[in-house]
Amino acid sequence: MLFVPVTLCMLLVVATIKSLHFYTDKTDQQLIYTPFTENTSSVGRRLLNSVLNAVVMIGVIVAMTVLLVFLYKYRCYKVIHGWLILSSLLLLFWFSFMYLSEVLKTYNVAMDYPTAGVLIWNFGAVGMACVHWKGPLALQQAYLIVVSALMALVFVKYLPEWSAWLILALVSVYDLVAVLSPKGPLRMLVETAQERNEPIFPALIYSSAMAWTTGPADGEPGRASDEEAEPSGRAAAAEDDDDEQEERGVKLGLGDFIFYSVLVGKAAAGGGDWNTTAACFVAILIGLCVTLLLLAIFKKALPALPISITFGLICYFATDSLARPFMDDLAAHHFYI
Amino acid sequence: MNLERVPNEEKLGLCRKYYLGGFAFLPFLWLVNVVWFFREAFVKPAYTEQLQIKTYVKRSALGLLLWVAVLTTWITIYQHYRAQWGEVGDYISFTIPLGIP
Repeated sequence: MLFVPVTLCMLLVVATIKSLHFYTDKTDQQLIYTPFTENTSSVGRRLLNSVLNAVVMIGVIVAMTVLLVFLYKYRCYKVIHGWLILSSLLLLFWFSFMYLSEVLKTYNVAMDYPTAGVLIWNFGAVGMACVHWKGPLALQQAYLIVVSALMALVFVKYLPEWSAWLILALVSVYDLVAVLSPKGPLRMLVETAQERNEPIFPALIYSSAMAWTTGPADGEPGRASDEEAEPSGRAAAAEDDDDEQEERGVKLGLGDFIFYSVLVGKAAAGGGDWNTTAACFVAILIGLCVTLLLLAIFKKALPALPISITFGLICYFATDSLARPFMDDLAAHHFYI
Repeated sequence: MNLERVPNEEKLGLCRKYYLGGFAFLPFLWLVNVVWFFREAFVKPAYTEQLQIKTYVKRSALGLLLWVAVLTTWITIYQHYRAQWGEVGDYISFTIPLGIP
């Protein structure tokens, strides 16, 4: 049941990358999270810079996860709320505005400010209502998918090549550590939420069904979407409450959506070859399958990133360096197998 | 959220808030209102609040139609006459297509 949203997100990212050149245009502009440039003269220098970039990025992610857990533990719900609302405002309005303008430029369509304003205003406002407040479940899920895709696209555009792959690898390691080790921030987050009998930030997380609890929660559980790509990379099954009937839905963190899509996006942007993209796509879905299987066996929060990303990375590099030249050669010599 | 589990007064409150919200230049909110509460208003067996929900859904649908009409007219006019409006056309345009119109 998580296959459909993950597939949709990845499809959205790949379709955008293949049709809008904006997201693959070489730009010297980089995020402040990856301060070292990859436009260096020597390969060694480039490698060093990408490693440093990855370290900085992971450092930022670790810091933010720790901060989030800290705030949650000390019940600073208002701060968390504010932070999440600000992030979703940015994503729903600014990034979607950029996306709209790129789509229009690519298809050479004119649009006036009033119409664009109405469109973006509607998209953003309804998004905020659905994700942060109350709205139809399907629409909320759709918005979360779109928001993850937008975030992934930003990463695909602004992360330089080698740094991106290193970051993906390191973030899955971090995810593994953060969720499984006893002092890991994400594990502490899950445990604190379970102790207090609150749903775990229902909107940093995509849930395939609605959980319905009437547990007294101090403050509202924050409902907002993830912007800084926190790898709340855990899949957890909703708990059963004795008094209330609760829908059992599988949940997946938005960070997972984002990083899966970044992997597939980078695969699509890099070679331009469909073999590689399709291979990564399948690898990620298989990884997700395995993760869900493990979830059914262990019945506790598990990191969703490591398995899929590992398979994805292996597939990408294998296909790119081995399968692709092989296929090209076969095709060039009209040799069919 | 699942409307099945929500008590009727809350449904009414939700429908009303979506209806009122739509007045802030948000026809999309009205669309969501109509689609989401359609079954509640017209298909389900009657309950106390249903009449009011029906009115809200109908009015949302009306507002939506009005907005669609206005937007379609404006977009048609704009796309057709943009090139002829010269400077004013460019001023209100957010993307200007390349090539000869």
